Amino acid sequence: MNRNPYMRLALRRAALRTVVNTVIVLFALAPIAWGVVSSLKPANQILEVPPRFIPQDVTLEHYERVIGDKGLLFLGNSALVSAITIVFALTIGSIAAYAIARYEFSGRRILMIFTIGVMSIPIASLLIPTFTLLSVVGLINTHVGLILLYTAYQLPIVIWMLYGYFLSLPIEVEQAARIDGHTALGTLRRVVLPLSKPALVAAALFVLVFSWNDFVVAVTMTSSESVRTFPVAVYFYLGFYGREWGPLLASAVISIIPITAIFIILQRYFISGLTGGGVKG
Amino acid sequence: MATVTFRNVSKRYGAITALDSLDLEIGDGEFVSLLGPSGSGKSTTLNLLAGLISADSGTIHIGEREITHLPPEQRDLAMVFQNYALYPHMTVAENIAFPLEARKPRPGKDAIARNVSLVAETLGIGNLLARYPKEISGGQQQRVALGRAMVRDPRVFLLDEPLSNLDARLRVRMRRDLKELHRQIGSTIVYVTHDQSEAMTLSDRVAVFAHGQLQQVAPPREIYENPVNTFVANFVGDRETNFLDGILEGEKDMLFRSGSAVIKLGTQRLKNASQKVTLGVRPEAVTISRNADDGMCAEVIMTELAGAELFVYLRLISGQEIGMRCDPREVSLVTGETVSIRFDPHQIHLFDQESGQNIA
Ligand SMILES: Nc1ncnc2c1ncn2[C@@H]1O[C@H](COP(=O)(O)OP(=O)(O)OP(=O)(O)O)[C@@H](O)[C@H]1O
Ligand SMILES: [Mg+2]
Repeated sequence: MNRNPYMRLALRRAALRTVVNTVIVLFALAPIAWGVVSSLKPANQILEVPPRFIPQDVTLEHYERVIGDKGLLFLGNSALVSAITIVFALTIGSIAAYAIARYEFSGRRILMIFTIGVMSIPIASLLIPTFTLLSVVGLINTHVGLILLYTAYQLPIVIWMLYGYFLSLPIEVEQAARIDGHTALGTLRRVVLPLSKPALVAAALFVLVFSWNDFVVAVTMTSSESVRTFPVAVYFYLGFYGREWGPLLASAVISIIPITAIFIILQRYFISGLTGGGVKG
Repeated sequence: MATVTFRNVSKRYGAITALDSLDLEIGDGEFVSLLGPSGSGKSTTLNLLAGLISADSGTIHIGEREITHLPPEQRDLAMVFQNYALYPHMTVAENIAFPLEARKPRPGKDAIARNVSLVAETLGIGNLLARYPKEISGGQQQRVALGRAMVRDPRVFLLDEPLSNLDARLRVRMRRDLKELHRQIGSTIVYVTHDQSEAMTLSDRVAVFAHGQLQQVAPPREIYENPVNTFVANFVGDRETNFLDGILEGEKDMLFRSGSAVIKLGTQRLKNASQKVTLGVRPEAVTISRNADDGMCAEVIMTELAGAELFVYLRLISGQEIGMRCDPREVSLVTGETVSIRFDPHQIHLFDQESGQNIA
């Protein structure tokens, strides 16, 4: 045994920390783990009492059913809407945030406060007016309508995140780019945005999580199958298959996979210190 | 023609006047330093010229072209920032190439690469082209920043304290390199510094600023020998100028009297008859006098041997302290000793006590 009392204390702390962390992780992941495991069980074993964690028989029938039943179309719709929303929100958001961060014009403070204030309006309270608006302009039940709504909902938070990040960048680097002959937009595109990758990634993930998972807006604004997004489709399985848990769980697992993968791929950007070294002093 | 002309240019920040009606003309190919203490308006002047801030009044011309309201990218300048402001996400080569890529029409890849390597060779950073700014030293970063400015052959170079982040040795070497660079490319350079020796050694002319006002523009030697006021006299020179308050006496052969000390000034032509004056004399114009009746009595309170020079702090009977600079091979003094000192009459400056303006 190690006799050094400090070492023993440190070991005991580390052990305690590991135990606590494990409990938290188990607590958070248990429902997901149960969902994944159950989605692989044959239908008659899912609600078995007592429940079994390790499935007796493993089957992919629920996944086949979801995918076979236009699942790919709905996934594609979700991906399309999410991707275009991200592009829109980041493009408009970065230009707006840059203007507010770097240009002096009257009312910019009020504009920023307003932008942050808008974030506190609950989306549910906007559903009926926006439904009416979309019907009038003929964008109800279209991808474009959904994309525009998602962009509008997510712009404030994107602007707010990018604004804070832009302010933290060394302004001399931007001034240098202007003096070197690049326009304001050129400077934004070639200097500011490349230096803002961590903030852009974070903002993009925010938008992605929202637009990929959104149910309530999509179910209100769309009705036909051709524009249906995946979360809405999951809901429809409830009706189509009665109380069949298999396809429901399988589709839930399917919708988690892309987001998880993207988070894992992009996590290095959260830690990165890209601005190091350009400015001295 | 890349002359620079400021006419009556002012810049205010709320109650602070950062720059007060500046009139300044910089000739084609001239190396002009903007010198002054912190907060005197040097960077403001440079940033106005660069277009990074906008003037409240007045006009700025480069050559015949008025640029007062043009955005920075249309002014055709190059600037080296105090903190270099390299693009952290680009390699050294990409940093240097960046100004060329803004050109319309954009030069071909080969032309850009050729230019970049030419400039990099000139500055001795040819082996660093593939590195990122954070992977090179401060001195090397400084060269990259210079390279980025040189590559496009701008009409005017702006440098804002580019040497202040370097260590003393490197600073002196870069100073030489800069001067050599100016000789080679011969373009107009506006150089901001608060280091008077940098300004004096580098420039064709020095513009001294204080409190947002231009005090004097002149060649270094003239600034040193004929300062227009007490501020310039004190700020320029690496040791403080000695100032004595006193009164003038006599018509032709003038005397300066300060307490018990009397200094013979000989014949002086005064621009402005004034009785109460401040006498200014640089430490190197103070000497030990051989015959005691000619000089003033002073006590040695401290000596500093700084390599080739000996700096002596003296106290006059009036209590006033005087700095003296001399050659340690000729003079040796011990603390507490009493000596007789005199001021070289040719190097004495007289200033009005009220306004601080030079009157002789
Ligand atoms: N953005 C600003 N807002 C308010 N006041 C400012 C601003 N920029 C400069 N000033 C003020 O204007 C005056 C001149 O500033 P400037 O930057 O030109 O000084 P400087 O001579 O470059 O000094 P330093 O040697 O410290 O760089 C200072 O009093 C400064 O506080
Ligand atoms: Mg400054």
